[in-house]
Amino acid sequence: MNIRVARIDDTMGMQACNLQNLPENYTMKYYLYHLLTWPTLSYVAEDSNGRVVGYILAKMEEDLPEGEKPHGHVTSISVLRSYRRLGIAKKLMVQSQEAMAAMYKADYVSLHVRKSNRAALGLYRDTLGFTVKDIEKKYYADGEDAYAMHLSLAS
Amino acid sequence: MSKLQLAKRALPSKEGTLFKDVLTLYETRQLKKGLKTADQILKKFPEHGETMCMKGLILVHMGRREEGMDLVKKGVRLDLTSHICWHVFGLIQKGEKNYEEALKSYMQALRFDKENMNILRDAASLQSQLRLYDGLVETRHTLARCRPVLRANWIALSVAYHLNGNLEEAKKVLEHYEDSLKNVPDYDVEHSETTMYHVKVLEDIGDYAEALAFLDVNSKSRVIVDKTGVMETRARLLSKLKSDEAEHAWRVLIDHNPDCTDYYNGYLTSQNISSDDAALLVLKEISSQIPRANAPRRLALAYSSGDQFRELAKEYLTSALVKGVPSLFADIKSLYENQARLESIQSILEQLLAEHTPASSSPTEPTTYLWILYFQAQHFSHLSQYDKALEVLERAITHTPTLPELYTCKGRVLKRAGDPYGAARALEEARRLDGQDRFLNTKCAKYHLRAGLINEAYHFFGLFTKKDAASPSADLEDMQSLLYLIEDADAQRRLGKLNLALKKYAVINKVFDEIEDDQYDFHGYSMRKFTVNIYLNLLTWEDNLRSHPVYVKAALSASQIFVALHDDPSIVKRFTSSEPLTSAEKKAQKKAKKAAHKKEEDKKPAAPTSTNEDKGLEIPNADDDPDGLKLLGCSDPLERAAKFLHPLTTLASKNIDVWIAVYDVAIRRKKYLQAVRALAHARELDADYPELHVRLAHLRKTVTSLPQVPPAPIGEVFTSTVSALLPDEVTLETFNSQYLQRHSSSPLAIFAAARVLKTLDGPLEEVDNTIFSTLGPDVKLTLKSARTMLDYLVQLGSLRVEEYRTSCDQRFPLATVFKTAEEQASLMKETVEMPIASPKDEVEI
Repeated sequence: MNIRVARIDDTMGMQACNLQNLPENYTMKYYLYHLLTWPTLSYVAEDSNGRVVGYILAKMEEDLPEGEKPHGHVTSISVLRSYRRLGIAKKLMVQSQEAMAAMYKADYVSLHVRKSNRAALGLYRDTLGFTVKDIEKKYYADGEDAYAMHLSLAS
Repeated sequence: MSKLQLAKRALPSKEGTLFKDVLTLYETRQLKKGLKTADQILKKFPEHGETMCMKGLILVHMGRREEGMDLVKKGVRLDLTSHICWHVFGLIQKGEKNYEEALKSYMQALRFDKENMNILRDAASLQSQLRLYDGLVETRHTLARCRPVLRANWIALSVAYHLNGNLEEAKKVLEHYEDSLKNVPDYDVEHSETTMYHVKVLEDIGDYAEALAFLDVNSKSRVIVDKTGVMETRARLLSKLKSDEAEHAWRVLIDHNPDCTDYYNGYLTSQNISSDDAALLVLKEISSQIPRANAPRRLALAYSSGDQFRELAKEYLTSALVKGVPSLFADIKSLYENQARLESIQSILEQLLAEHTPASSSPTEPTTYLWILYFQAQHFSHLSQYDKALEVLERAITHTPTLPELYTCKGRVLKRAGDPYGAARALEEARRLDGQDRFLNTKCAKYHLRAGLINEAYHFFGLFTKKDAASPSADLEDMQSLLYLIEDADAQRRLGKLNLALKKYAVINKVFDEIEDDQYDFHGYSMRKFTVNIYLNLLTWEDNLRSHPVYVKAALSASQIFVALHDDPSIVKRFTSSEPLTSAEKKAQKKAKKAAHKKEEDKKPAAPTSTNEDKGLEIPNADDDPDGLKLLGCSDPLERAAKFLHPLTTLASKNIDVWIAVYDVAIRRKKYLQAVRALAHARELDADYPELHVRLAHLRKTVTSLPQVPPAPIGEVFTSTVSALLPDEVTLETFNSQYLQRHSSSPLAIFAAARVLKTLDGPLEEVDNTIFSTLGPDVKLTLKSARTMLDYLVQLGSLRVEEYRTSCDQRFPLATVFKTAEEQASLMKETVEMPIASPKDEVEI
């Protein structure tokens, strides 16, 4: 099992992984937009056959108000159910965070998670150290609220 | 330009101002006003080409496409030397994705306005899209010359040279560009990216030492901020230079990311390791320094053997089983290629079971026992010992009935054993254990498609697709789910619903068209963002896009259907019969119509808004053939098949089935040279391939029935290729019987020989006997080939179908695919009517 920077060749695998696991899906152009704008921030985990079993799709937040520090944002992160217990999500997140800090001087990372998604909440809060910053009402397409979570990168 | 033309174009000051207004109104998309203003001009000057073109452009934006297009064409004809007219024409063609024609229009426009920035930029994007790099260099040159202040223009020029194969010029442009830079801020990401691109150019030229020096200077001075990129490039360059420093560079990478197996491979290669033992030592050393890293421990297994392997494997397996890692078997599987390792693992497994079975001497986590059983089941399944696998799974399920993995594993085993209904039921059990998990949902739906339970599958998909989508299928199509599309298409095909199968294969093609088109905006975007290296990666990937396995499968399956339609046009009639529909069919039809209608409604604006609504220039996605019946009845099936297959001749040229498919289409299109060349390709890949054998016989029959030899210039090449494939003096009867003799233990070869026998008008009894020989003791009959055989006997109208069927049913006891039609129908019913669990288990997201 191999963890490395995502290349354009990985986008189909990332999209397939996302469609299998999560209800929030994107067309290919959105994946391309992430990689072609922030080429060092997205990572994949692949099995020995080169199949994408986990990914993190990340960016730097754009359109920042004046004076606000740059911060990274996780658009989507997912690992196939059949590849749990290997700490893949954490490894992907750590690699991406380091790149955000080193390359873009990110002050913190943000992401959104469904209020009802206990498993993901546990991952972000307990394993990765995120804290809940805010509740964004009706964030998701189906009307569910989201927790906006932050992780400080200042060392 | 003639005075007359000038005179026609020039407008008096009042109308001249109005024309400027039209341009502004168009730019700000005030379409209604723009239209009115244009009409004002045309009232007085009805033949003013430029105004006519602008009006046409506005009309297209308003959704009046045909009208607008006609007007634009008229306008161009009225003013053939106006850059505005050609620009407008090009814009519209671009919007229709007709890039070749759009570029021609843009080139015309440039003839009359050589330094128009807008036109040049669009032309550059078109040339990039069409891979016309000579032209691209020229265009980028002009852009850089006209606006040298814009940094992106220089980078784009360098990239153009690079793409056109002129690395030295690319390098020169970069050097010139870098020299001209002033006041570059610190930690500037754009500058970092262009510097990394410069390194790549040097690397591509082959100047590794220069590339490394340049990289180091810019990394030390903090110009390059991509730390990981620097480390990876360093290590790669040092390895290419065969430098002593390479080892350290890879080691640094391993410390930075101990989970990247590429780094370990680089590390080992850099040390000129010649023996497995030496590699093992290195890996052990890393493991002791980074104890939590999984990669070196797993790699070590591949380099060890005998007792050492046993020791390492036992430790590796134990720690993963205690942790409960579901992917352990998938991880280990590749080691099974080595028989000795397979046996070692088998005995370790038995040992572990003895150690960890509950109620044995050592108290242990009950879950370890469970995961050992899970591993063992996969082990047996891999060895095709399906009954053993199922028995182990039953024991595991008794122990822990709530672990979904046990049921997904059971499903996979049953699938491989030939029981798609049992497999679907197992996946439904898995799904119910965690209704919130889309992964289980997707697998469950897929297994229902495999079992031919299409509506049930849609229901499952629908639990996670968007509620406001027209249907679950529509949402999955919009989100480009290739997994869904290929499984649905194949399922429809198995059920004989050729129209729906073709439709879905066509949608797959459309998805690939979309993805190919996605790159368009990035030709300009990536230059503005300076992310060049990843942009180059994009172009290479797009060039190879249709090598994707789903595209290959779709192309092959669709072309097979198209060929069948060509051979038997009466197939279409079956689908357009005037027989009254059953009430279930009527219901389904109504539902499909409603879904298609809803989809159309969703595309229209909610309420009739003012006509200022900008519909853009792209052709709207109206689906006028929701049932695929038009496609099924198309007048050019072979041409469509050829188009579908075409990219595969370069992108999947090692796939023998591609060449077989190309032959099938080409020979029917009477493209004889293409046909025989395809078979020649196939022969090079595998001269004994059964499908090739069938085609060679087909070729001989076709050639002997040709009224005349194909004319020069292809005649000679054709004849000689044919002779090389199958010598003229060999009769087909001899050819076939010799083939059968040579491959008497291969069921698919026997199948091929039987089919050829049939085309030689062999007696039905003899064909039957040939097929029946596959049941013999020396033949390695697999489940898949047995099904193929049975289907063929049915197709032939053989009198011995029942005999073959019952024979297979006995030979494959776990399979349900050899049961009678009635038995299978009742199994399907049983699967559909699985006892519904309490409603709270169904969590709709």
